[in-house]
Amino acid sequence: MIKLLDKPFKAFTIYALIILLVSIPIYFLVVDWIWVTEIDDNHEIIMERIENRFEQAHLSGHDLETILHTWNTLQPSSSITPITEASGSRDSIYEVTKYNEYESEWDRFRGLQTVIRIDNKPYLLNIETNVEEAYETIFAIGLVTVLLYGLLVFGFIQLNRKISKSVWEPFDSTLTRLKSFDLSAGKELTFEPTDIEEFESLNHTISKLISENIGVYNQQKAFVANASHELQTPIALLKSKLEILFQDEKLSSDQSELVNAIQIPLARLTRVNKNLLLLARIDNSNFSDISEIDFAEKVEKSEELLQDYIGEKKLNFQKSRKGKCVFKSSKFLAETLVNNLLSNAVRHTSANGEIGIEWDDNGFSFRNSGKERLNRDFLFKRFSISTTETTNSGLGLAIVKEICKQNGWEITYDFSDYFHIFSVRFSKF
Amino acid sequence: MKILVIEDEKELARDIVNYLSGENYLCETAADFPSAREKVSLYQYDCILLDLMLPGGDGFDILEYLRSQNKQDGVIIISAKNSLEDKIKGLNIGADDYLAKPFHHSELAARIHSVIRRKQFDPSNLIVQNEVKIDLLSKTVQIGGNGIPLTKKEYDLLLFFIGNKNRVLSKSALAEHLSGDLADMFDSHDFVYAHVKNLKKKLSEGGYGNYLKTKYGTGYKWEI
Repeated sequence: MIKLLDKPFKAFTIYALIILLVSIPIYFLVVDWIWVTEIDDNHEIIMERIENRFEQAHLSGHDLETILHTWNTLQPSSSITPITEASGSRDSIYEVTKYNEYESEWDRFRGLQTVIRIDNKPYLLNIETNVEEAYETIFAIGLVTVLLYGLLVFGFIQLNRKISKSVWEPFDSTLTRLKSFDLSAGKELTFEPTDIEEFESLNHTISKLISENIGVYNQQKAFVANASHELQTPIALLKSKLEILFQDEKLSSDQSELVNAIQIPLARLTRVNKNLLLLARIDNSNFSDISEIDFAEKVEKSEELLQDYIGEKKLNFQKSRKGKCVFKSSKFLAETLVNNLLSNAVRHTSANGEIGIEWDDNGFSFRNSGKERLNRDFLFKRFSISTTETTNSGLGLAIVKEICKQNGWEITYDFSDYFHIFSVRFSKF
Repeated sequence: MKILVIEDEKELARDIVNYLSGENYLCETAADFPSAREKVSLYQYDCILLDLMLPGGDGFDILEYLRSQNKQDGVIIISAKNSLEDKIKGLNIGADDYLAKPFHHSELAARIHSVIRRKQFDPSNLIVQNEVKIDLLSKTVQIGGNGIPLTKKEYDLLLFFIGNKNRVLSKSALAEHLSGDLADMFDSHDFVYAHVKNLKKKLSEGGYGNYLKTKYGTGYKWEI
């Protein structure tokens, strides 16, 4: 994944690189052109000056010859040579590369060749100036460009950081709050006000979305609670009527079996409804029966109640105490938690299997032998029944999860060494 | 013995009366708060079954009224709100027992039996049923002077049967009596069969008549 700010940054960097690369030949051409034009202008001026000075000097033929000789010997960049009228030399501007003995390298020269007249005699004036080498110019421009590019990228990075810190700060704060949002907690989210229009509008939209969701969630919760509450009486009546029917002396054996068969799904209906009511209650209320709970005591109580079921399946039940597990909680919730986890283990372990409970100062865990790992994603969700067993209400672990949440504990599932392990850890404070 | 069923769901009240009627009980019903309040103040009952949510008032008020008048009627709260707070509050005000709906009638009958037994002034705390003598204080069972060693569960079952004479008891009702709420987490209650079998064996070895019958292969009946 790429960060939002890095995306334009990358594009900007590439674009800057292209522009700067293209700029190198352009700079070169422009610099070279200015350079050459300037030299040509200069040559022109020098030529005129030489012509004028000679004109004004009124030198005799012999003196002129001596001066020209000295000129040609001493002046390295220009030469004046007499020519005949008929030689037909023309003015020209040229460029030439010559070997420079002093610097022992090849240099580029810009030259002006023109015919001047001194005392009405034609002379060929040749002025040459060393021009910077093309590769040298390109190298210098390239160097500057690379330096500037480096500066540019460095600036981009710094600016990017600064911008991401200041400009994106409200966004990050919104994101942090969203991450910690829990619909079932029923608390609305408030966002820090920001002066950036887009973020303000984002926060506003999210707030609206969340409050609508909370509304729908609460409505749904209330619906489930109301529905299961309303179902209670019909279920109780059904159960009652069946039991009265069961007492009928005239009932045939077939009919009594039928009554029994009806009782099984009815028991399941009762269970599901009871658990739904329980979930609604855990969600809605604060439990006032908070007291010090000794985990070992609760396990013993639960074990006593389930003893027959453990015996029936010939399960090997082991308890291991690694510390004193005492915590503050609602007695009712603590008992429900232990009962649910233990009966869950008993129910899902096949005959002759193994069940273990382990506890220490900071939590407890239930384990039972099993064949394969359960899907962690669905395990604690409501009605995510993993087996085809009809005893499963699909709510037992959802209730366990809710109770842990209510108490601020953490519950995890693990499967190792052919054991399902449910661990509850108390938070560390 | 007189029992008052305060329950606004008429069908349920009728079934309770129906189930209890064979047991030598005289049952009356009250379907709302005013009539319940009236009956409670006019008559005395051995046991009152009290629903908490009543048309016209709160069941707790009836309980409070009873105790403020120093009436010693036994009270069993039967409530759809399976809430521990209600249970604690009810027992604190002076209810004798609390049973969450939906319940097995047999469980209710056993609880009524137990409440009435406790209310009756009987210093010996003995239940005598044909040849069997049950000492409720020491929780021992004797037949013809010989002690019958019963496990806790067998003893519980025996009391349950005696509280539901001549009634067919389903395995699930028995399982729920033994394991409480947890029983409904399971479909198979075969262990009940083993307990009943052992109880039967021990009683008949002690010389007790064959009163405990298996019915239709799905339930049991204590026939007198």
